[in-house]
Amino acid sequence: MKKVKKQDITRLLSQWQKEFTVFVPSRENGAAEMTVWDGQDVSFLDWYRNTVIPPKANFLLNMEIMFGFRKEDGSYNLELPAAATQKQLVFGIRPCDARATSIIDMVFKDAYEDKYYLNRRENTLLIGMGCLNPYDSCFCTSLGLGPAEATDVDLMLTDIGDDFLIEEVTDKGKELVARTEGVVEATRDDESRAGEVKDTAYKKVTRKIDTREIEKRLPASFDNEEFWEKVAAKCVSCGICTFLCPTCYCFDINDEMLKGDGARYRNWDSCSFPLYTKMPAENPREEKWRRVRQKVHHKYTFYPSLFDVIACTGCGRCIRLCPVNWDITQTLESVPAEAATGTEKK
Amino acid sequence: MSETEQKLRNEAMTLLEQGRADYIIGYEAGSLKFTTTPLITRDKDDIDRLVINPFILNNLSVFLGDISGKAGIVAKGCDSRSIVSLIQDQQLAREDIVIIGVPCSGVIDLNKVEKLTGKDRDELDDIAWAGDKAVVTIEGAKKEFPAKDVLMDDCLSCDMPAPQEYDILLDEVGPLVCDKELSRSQIKELEEMSPEQRWEFWKNEFSRCIRCYACRQVCPACFCKRCFVEETEPQWISPLPKWQDNLIFQMTRMIHVAGRCTDCGECQRSCPVNIPLRSLSKKMEEIADELFQYKAGTDKDAPPLMAAYESEEAEDFIR
Amino acid sequence: MSQESEWEPKILGFLCRWCSYAGADLAGTSRKKYPANIRIIKIPCSGRIDPLLIIRALRTGFDGVLVSGCHPGDCHYQTGNYRARRRIAITKNFLEYMGMEPQRLQASWVSASEGGKFAEVVSEITRDLKEISPNRLFTDERDGTKATE
Repeated sequence: MKKVKKQDITRLLSQWQKEFTVFVPSRENGAAEMTVWDGQDVSFLDWYRNTVIPPKANFLLNMEIMFGFRKEDGSYNLELPAAATQKQLVFGIRPCDARATSIIDMVFKDAYEDKYYLNRRENTLLIGMGCLNPYDSCFCTSLGLGPAEATDVDLMLTDIGDDFLIEEVTDKGKELVARTEGVVEATRDDESRAGEVKDTAYKKVTRKIDTREIEKRLPASFDNEEFWEKVAAKCVSCGICTFLCPTCYCFDINDEMLKGDGARYRNWDSCSFPLYTKMPAENPREEKWRRVRQKVHHKYTFYPSLFDVIACTGCGRCIRLCPVNWDITQTLESVPAEAATGTEKK
Repeated sequence: MSETEQKLRNEAMTLLEQGRADYIIGYEAGSLKFTTTPLITRDKDDIDRLVINPFILNNLSVFLGDISGKAGIVAKGCDSRSIVSLIQDQQLAREDIVIIGVPCSGVIDLNKVEKLTGKDRDELDDIAWAGDKAVVTIEGAKKEFPAKDVLMDDCLSCDMPAPQEYDILLDEVGPLVCDKELSRSQIKELEEMSPEQRWEFWKNEFSRCIRCYACRQVCPACFCKRCFVEETEPQWISPLPKWQDNLIFQMTRMIHVAGRCTDCGECQRSCPVNIPLRSLSKKMEEIADELFQYKAGTDKDAPPLMAAYESEEAEDFIR
Repeated sequence: MSQESEWEPKILGFLCRWCSYAGADLAGTSRKKYPANIRIIKIPCSGRIDPLLIIRALRTGFDGVLVSGCHPGDCHYQTGNYRARRRIAITKNFLEYMGMEPQRLQASWVSASEGGKFAEVVSEITRDLKEISPNRLFTDERDGTKATE
C-alpha cells in the first residue's frame, strides 16, 4: 500500500489534471456535486461528507444529446455526437456511490451496451475516499458495505491523520499511482491505523435494516394494498428520492425541434411521477401507493431477482433530502411478516 | 410530552371517536434529528404519536386533496391560510375539515443553524428555545443565538402566527419575533440590481434545477390535476432541465399561484439544490398586496385574487 | 446604439376578436400605416391570456408582446378584460422583477372602431422596443441555444 501527505493533495490532483478532467466535490454552485476541479481549491477536504447530486450524473447525464438531426432536401440527416474520449477522474467518491455505479453497470453494460454511458464510464477512474463521518441517514453497513471499504473504485484513500493511505484496487489504479509523484510506500503502522479508522467509521453507521428479513417479507407484501396506502400517504410524489438516488437510472427521451434541425435528448425520469407510466388508454400507476410500491420493490425485489443484488447502497440521500422525511428504512422495517390475504382491487 | 401535545391527542382522538373526522393529518417525530414527518391516519392507535414542537415544518394542507372524507388537520397560522385559500378556490368545503389550530412562534431554519455553527444538523446534540434565544448544544457545549438569526425567513415576516380560521385552538399565541426587513433582505438586494443583473442571477440559480418538481408537489396552491409542464399537445415547455425551461416553469408557476401563495416557504425548503424560491414567492405576495391590497388566505368568503376585479383599478400600463 | 436602432423588433400581438382584432382589421381597410413588426394571434377574449402565452412568446424569440382587448365595460363577455387587466398587471410586475425590460410586455384597449388607435399603438410599441436591444433573455451564449420554434 502507498500513502500521500495531506498537504500534497493539490500536487497530486495537479498531476492528474494534465491527463484527466478531474472532478472533485464542490458546493460552489449551491448544492454539493462533483464538478471540474479549478486547479486550486481543496477545501472540500474539510466539509465534504457526501454530495447532494450523486456521481452517477458524471456517467448518466441529466441532459444527453443522443443525436442531432437536420432537415435537408426533404429528408433528415442524423449527426451522432462525438464520443467522449476525454478521460475523467472522479476524486473522492464514497463507497456507497462507487458501488451504486457498479449496480448501474449491470443495466447499461451487462444487460445491453449503452454506448453513451459506457463511453464515459470506461474513460473514468474512480478515486474513492473513505467516509469517516457518515450521516445519521446512512445505512450502508446493512447492505454489505463499509463507509471506508475499498470497493468498486480504482484507488481508495483513507484519512490516517497527516496522510492518506492509498489502496490500489485495480490495475488501472496501480498504473496511475506508479506514474504519480509524491506517493510513497506506506508502513505497517499506517495500514493498521487505517484499519482502526475504518472500524471506527463502520461503527458510526447506526441506522440498520435487516435485508434478509426484508427479502423474505417484501415480495409477499406486493398485493397488500392497505400497507402500501398507509406508507405512501405522506409521499408528495416529487422526484427527489429517485433523481438523487445513486442507483436510479430511469430516463426519458425527448426530441427538441429547432428551425429545420433539432436533437434527440435523454434526460432523467422518475417512477414517482404519475406521467411516467401514463399510456393512452390507462395508467397502471395512477395512484401514489402503486408508485411508492414500485420504487421500493424495484430496489429490493425486482433488482435482486434480475441481478442478484439489492439496488440500494444505503447512501441515505432519499431520507436526508426528502421534503417530508419519508424514510425507506422505516417502510422496509414495517413490512408485515404475514402475506396479505386480500387481493389487489382493480 | 407538553400540555399542548396532550391536548392535541385528546382532541384528535375525540374527532375520530365521534366521527367528526375520518382522518387526522398531523405531525409525528421524524426519523432524523430535528425533524417531524406528516402523520396521516384513520387509526386511533396512531394518535399518541402526534407531536407539536419547533420543527413542525411541513404545510400539511397539501395532503387535503388526497383525502376522501373529512379530515382533522393540524395547522399553524400560515397553513391555515393555505386551507382558507383552498376553500376560496373551491378545492375544499369548509365543513369537510376540522382545523386544529396551533399557535406558532416560528420554526427553526436548520440551514441557518448549520451556517452559524459550521456543523451539519446531525452533528448537533440539541436545539431548544430559551425565551427569545435558541440554545444549540454541540458536543456538550451550549451556544446561544438570537431568534431572528435562526428562524425561517418566512417566519420572520409572519403576521399570523395563530390561525384565524379554526375549529379548535390548542394554545394561546406565543411570543413572535418579527424582522420584516431581514426576511426580505435578498429581495432588497435584487431590487437594487440592474434588470440585466437580476436576470443573470436567476439564470444562474435555475441552471442547477433538476426538475424534480418538489417545489410544485409540496405547494398547497399548486392543486392542478395536470400541470402545464406535463401537457404535450402543445408542449408548452421542454421537459429537459435547460435553464430556460427551468426558469419558465418556475416563473409561470409563481404567476399561477399569485394570490394563493401564503409565503409558507415550503417550496424553498424542499428544493434539494437550494434555489432561493422564496425570493420569488414573497415578491409575488408583495406585488399582489401593493396592486390589489390582497393577502392570500385571509378571508374564506372573498373571491380569489385572479377571479375578481374592480371596475377601477391599476391600469397605468395600458395604452 | 446607432447599430441597434437599425434592427426591427418582432412583436406578437394577442388581440381580442371582438374589439382589437376588428380594430386592426379597420386599420387595414382604412389604409392606416403602421409598422409591419407585429404578428397577430386572434384570441376569443383578452381574458384568454395566460402568463404562459406571454412567456412562451418571449422564449420563442419575440422581442415584445402586446395584449389588446376591449375598453373596460365593453367586454363581449362582460368581465374578461377586467380579469386580463389583473393578470397582466401581476405578470408585468413580476417579470420586471425577474429582470425583463418593461417595454417587452404591452397592453392596450382598442375598440372595433379604433383603427387609428391600433395603428398608433403598434407604432408606439415598435418605437419603444427599438430603444432597447433585441430580446436575448433566453439565448444562451454559453451553448448557443437558439429559441425553440
